[in-house]
Amino acid sequence: TMAFRHKNTRRIEGLDSNVWVEFTKVAADPSIVNLGQGLPDISPPSYVKEELAKAAAVDKLNQYTRGFGHPSLVKALSQVYERVCGRKIDPLTDILVTVGAYGSLFSTIQALIEEGDEVIIIEPFYDCYEPMVKMAGAKPVFVPLRYKNDGSSVSSACWVLDPAELANKFNSKTKAIILNTPHNPVGKVFSREELEVIADLCIKHDTLCISDEVYEWLVYKGKKHVKIATLPGMWERTITIGSAGKTYSVTGWKLGWAIGPQNLIKHLQVVHQNTLYTCPTPLQEALAQAFWIDYKRMDDPDCYFYSLSRELESKRDRMAQLLQEAGLKPVIPDGGYFMIVDVSPLNVDVSDVDEKQPYDYKFVKWMIKSKKLSAIPLSAFCAPETKRQFEKYIRFCFIKKDSTLDAAEVILKNWNKQTA
Amino acid sequence: LPTLFLSLFLQAKMSRPVQARRLEGIDKNIWVEFVKLADTYSTVNLGQGFPDFPPPDFLKQAFVRALGREDHALHQYTRAFGHPPLVKILAQFFGKLLGRELDPMTDVMVTVGAYQALFCCFQAFVDEGDEVIVIEPFFDCYETMVKMAGGTPVFVPLRPKAPNDGKLMSSADWQLDPAELASKFNKRTKAIVLNSPNNPLGKVFSRGELQLIADLCVKHDVLCISDEVYEWLVYDGKEHVRIASLQGMWDRTVIIGSAGKTFSATGWKVGWAMGPNRLLQHLRTVHQNSVYHCATAAQEAVAQGFQREFALYGKPDSYFVQLPKELQQKRDWLVQSLDAVGMKPIVPEGTYFLVADISAFKSDVPDVPNSNEPYDSRFAKWMVKNKGLAAIPLSAFCCEAHKSNYNHLIRFCFAKEEATLKAANEILQKWKQEKNSP
Repeated sequence: TMAFRHKNTRRIEGLDSNVWVEFTKVAADPSIVNLGQGLPDISPPSYVKEELAKAAAVDKLNQYTRGFGHPSLVKALSQVYERVCGRKIDPLTDILVTVGAYGSLFSTIQALIEEGDEVIIIEPFYDCYEPMVKMAGAKPVFVPLRYKNDGSSVSSACWVLDPAELANKFNSKTKAIILNTPHNPVGKVFSREELEVIADLCIKHDTLCISDEVYEWLVYKGKKHVKIATLPGMWERTITIGSAGKTYSVTGWKLGWAIGPQNLIKHLQVVHQNTLYTCPTPLQEALAQAFWIDYKRMDDPDCYFYSLSRELESKRDRMAQLLQEAGLKPVIPDGGYFMIVDVSPLNVDVSDVDEKQPYDYKFVKWMIKSKKLSAIPLSAFCAPETKRQFEKYIRFCFIKKDSTLDAAEVILKNWNKQTA
Repeated sequence: LPTLFLSLFLQAKMSRPVQARRLEGIDKNIWVEFVKLADTYSTVNLGQGFPDFPPPDFLKQAFVRALGREDHALHQYTRAFGHPPLVKILAQFFGKLLGRELDPMTDVMVTVGAYQALFCCFQAFVDEGDEVIVIEPFFDCYETMVKMAGGTPVFVPLRPKAPNDGKLMSSADWQLDPAELASKFNKRTKAIVLNSPNNPLGKVFSRGELQLIADLCVKHDVLCISDEVYEWLVYDGKEHVRIASLQGMWDRTVIIGSAGKTFSATGWKVGWAMGPNRLLQHLRTVHQNSVYHCATAAQEAVAQGFQREFALYGKPDSYFVQLPKELQQKRDWLVQSLDAVGMKPIVPEGTYFLVADISAFKSDVPDVPNSNEPYDSRFAKWMVKNKGLAAIPLSAFCCEAHKSNYNHLIRFCFAKEEATLKAANEILQKWKQEKNSP
């Protein structure tokens, strides 16, 4: 009787496994070149670190602040995003500060999604979308990005939604669609036209849009990040999510935000006041100060929002070159700091990796063990039905310092020599 | 015809509220309202529970050291279920106190404040149809979190016993009726929430009282969610007894703690849950699907704080010895201030809260017949607006049905600098003089 009574609730049934818990453990060995988890090993900008040290020294900042977001932070966020969106954003009613973008996703889904709802998720997807939708009692409906070969070199832009296939997924039960642009793991930056297709369907079916834009500043030459909330008819039905961790290379600060119309944000605020109530104060104050510094130079190329993406573009290009020289065809991302690559040309036999897992899981485990290089298997970002489609792909993270990429280069250069 | 069906479907969707049903009845929050009032009107804020003095130097230094390190690893993700140095020292520290070996990887989980640990417990264990016993008065989030999880809160009140003649009432005089408590347990009871030391009354449950609860938990196979955030704030030589150390309780208890309350750093939002892996595994599932990681740097600093306290345990230099000593003094000042003007304090055995009976001041705030708002809430609002003194009405800590039971009691926080408590005293003295002058 004891085991039964203390069983978990229905809402978390089947949600206990997690790719990160599995792979961060395996890759924690310092001798492994870790290009797996999206963890920068480059330094955050010095002024960001300094602002936190300054905030920590102020007594008052060690106690509770406003639950829905530290006043100076929500003010700074409203200014930055008013500029980006070209519309007025009320810091007190249109913004919620959360524990990472993860917390914003959770608050949004708990606030607005429930049993009987369907939520459209574009595949591959950041893995937490599916369990969060399930935990809210709703049904995830998947629609895949498909590779369209138009003859040009393989870029993330080649991965597209089929408009008819997408339209078919919408019905009267569709409560929301989750959009992630720039996209993790593919690196796709949805064009205005692609966003208009999604927006038209949202309006037609009165569907909400949960727009995960954590990589919004990491967009490479020739591409522009378009916020779906700025398209006609979309502000009133969109929650836009951002991340300090990705903006300032401080994933360990775990601060994110949700921005949208008051009539939606107020429900996220109710969830927040019943889950963790308030986020840490000194981190919010430091983030606010960092935002003011960059807000003041948003016309200047030295603004960190632009300088980081320039820094990452050269790392992207280097990573792509290394993989190409190893005989692979990486998908060149237009945004974000991940790159996916099809590893089937390497023809690695992993049948002795004794697990009932998809090829890419076994490949990554083999690669960690025998090559001392880690990545993340792409099927971690897919629903069961689609895993076959993506199981030859793995994801590399390139927000890494030069010495890490140097170490990766050595491994990749020697790869062919060993297998030859 | 197809267009007609489409627009009917749309109308059906639009007529349904956009928010999920789980938010029903949990949108109001006393803190949002009262914090705003305090910020606007108060000159002396004894309302929301946070210290107005800083965290100890050793903790602030630990944080600065953590930030200044050459490697910036502390600005990046750490282990999702808790930064290794922190879970290790928590396991060591509390293992010693509980007299058992705790595995830092499976028996401890770090959360964003004790608040998030509570959330994980309710989400992990409370399903629709489950009942959860909540002892009144209670920290208000217990009720809303149970509801959000689809459960039914079942309230059982602490009842005041008249104190001996001439003596001030103590929080010890508020007790559960054993028969009444037992009657609340049935086969739908999934858990009981225990908060000792208790916010708002300051009651420190005795071993005997805990045994009563434990016996019922064991008899009915019920979980115990034990909120012990004020564990170090016990006065007059009282002992904080951990219910998980009672026979049969470790296997069915989740213990919740808070760095904010332990180290006077509420703004850091570092808390933890401890218990057997069999229970903690489900908290981990909720955690990895809601916030996943907690901020790294503060966890490192709290780990160092605990390492210091582990070495100094029981010694005079220990913060866990010094803080309650200082707070007891502050408690006694506030008790004196309130008693001197005719507000009758209930002397708390623990926490940094004190509840007082304001009946003697009722004439200042006229009764409004047919008002929805409990008297103590109106009193507290009038007091902050007109006297600049912020406190929280006790009805905030009671369920809807019982809000008028104790409508003459308000809660003060005394974790405040001497200057703040002196200023409060002045306000009270002036107020009394105004009442007495013709």
